[in-house]
Amino acid sequence: MIGNARIGRRALRGIGIAAIWALCLSFFFPILYMVLTSFKHETDAIPPRLLFSPTLENYRAVLGSGILPHILNSALITLATMLFCIALGVPAAYSIVFGRLKKPDSAFFWFLSTTLLPPVSVIIPVFLLFKFLHLLDTRWGMVIIYTGANIPIAVWMVRSFLKDIPRELLEAADIDGASRARSFFRIILPLARTGIISTALLVFIFVWNEFFFAVNLTYINASPIPVYMASYMTQEGLFWAKLSAISTLTVLPPLVLGWISHKALVRGLMMGAVKG
Amino acid sequence: MKAFERIAAVPKANALILPAAAIVALVTQVPLVVTLVLSVVKWIVVRPDLGINFIGLSNYFQIFTSREFYSVVLNTIALTFVSIACCTILGIAFAHMLNRRFPGVNLARTIMIAPFFVMDAVAGIVWKTLMLHPSFGINGLVASWLGVAPVDFLGQHPLLTVVMLVVWQWTPFFVLILLAGFESISEELLDSARVDGASAFRTLFQIKIPAIAAHIEVAVMLGLIFILKTFGVIYVTTAGGPGISSTNLPYIVYRTGFYRWDVGRAAAMAIVTVILTLVTITALFGFVRRKTREAEA
Repeated sequence: MIGNARIGRRALRGIGIAAIWALCLSFFFPILYMVLTSFKHETDAIPPRLLFSPTLENYRAVLGSGILPHILNSALITLATMLFCIALGVPAAYSIVFGRLKKPDSAFFWFLSTTLLPPVSVIIPVFLLFKFLHLLDTRWGMVIIYTGANIPIAVWMVRSFLKDIPRELLEAADIDGASRARSFFRIILPLARTGIISTALLVFIFVWNEFFFAVNLTYINASPIPVYMASYMTQEGLFWAKLSAISTLTVLPPLVLGWISHKALVRGLMMGAVKG
Repeated sequence: MKAFERIAAVPKANALILPAAAIVALVTQVPLVVTLVLSVVKWIVVRPDLGINFIGLSNYFQIFTSREFYSVVLNTIALTFVSIACCTILGIAFAHMLNRRFPGVNLARTIMIAPFFVMDAVAGIVWKTLMLHPSFGINGLVASWLGVAPVDFLGQHPLLTVVMLVVWQWTPFFVLILLAGFESISEELLDSARVDGASAFRTLFQIKIPAIAAHIEVAVMLGLIFILKTFGVIYVTTAGGPGISSTNLPYIVYRTGFYRWDVGRAAAMAIVTVILTLVTITALFGFVRRKTREAEA
């Protein structure tokens, strides 16, 4: 009797786990299906065949199709933005946490409030200004706009990590006569390193994936991958296997970085929002 | 604390905030002011012969007397609130399911959060072709298995399609935050529920969900801010159509500004978008705060 009940419970638990797995897999299915399709011959993609002999021809075709300059654009814009956001965001967060601002909280909330602003509310002036300054369709233009748009997130995250650093450590360094710069590089930076790296990765993801500014401010020369994807879709929308191959290539970097940095994202967001 | 501030804080550190603040102001606040100015002029960029004329609040009058604009506002509200509601419910459900130990739980969590990191352009393409295409997508496949006609999602239910995509992309974000919430609930709280003999159902609704109220609040707030900005998935899948049936505020500003080049009208629409965003967020924030206080009292 007791044995039966235990078997029953175990079976129930097994079914429950299988159900959870099934639900998660079906949520993930579009990505999985995209990856699978990217290895199909076009004739196996439309109409879709379950069984197929895998091929790399789509990747070869895609990489030879003129996507490379756009990958380069994406990579350069994203990396430069990431560096600027950290180079400007970390000092700003430092001065909010350790500086002697009159109202550090208002400074912080000012940064936060700018993220509320819908991008459409700035796009027209930015477009006109860029046209005037010949920044339209340039990588530098995109770096400027993305840096401004992502610094608030960087400040938000980095602040939460700096707040975790025990102040006693800095006090001790001060008493030892270490200079401010020295204690920043020797104490604060090493302690906040993981947090700062995660922040950088998140900025990478946001910029790599960004669509609105990219589609409005670039045309050919500086257009990053998302813009290229959208136009490829209209031109070659019938080649699903190739579309899938491009898609797989372009979602891979943010996916990997996202899996690395998501814990820090949650921590940073909750710290900023709940504990103030 | 006090001693520390005296010793370790130097006025110099204040200047470190300036470069960041300057560039943020340059790309957000300054253009916002310019948008405000543009919203009271008539300026069609592709018609330089007409010039730039001050027309007061005419742009606003035109917006608020056009039926088109009201349906766009309604689309935006429907898209945002239905998506947020679905994300919250699915987010709680998935986070609760994944907040336990079972074989491969880490892998299950990993694949669950993946859609959040997929760019709009790709999400749009994959759903429009591989998933929802009536003949060759999974949609057509399932319909033929069931022996029914496939649903023409993009043509017949364009707004629903956009909602589906947004929910697919943003539920993982809710799961991420709410899972952290469930994990932070103390064992004592759960033990006391167990001692009281509360059912799993009651424990979830009367103990666990109230305990993660702060996490739900953060997820909803951030979700709201970002979902109000939805643009990429619309651009790639329905292009706002058919007609304006899946056009939201960001998309109509884009259409008006960069297709008709009616800069003044687009600016006025953008200002309305800002006001609507702020009103929604303030109202929701107030509502959540009140609820939290009631729950605490």
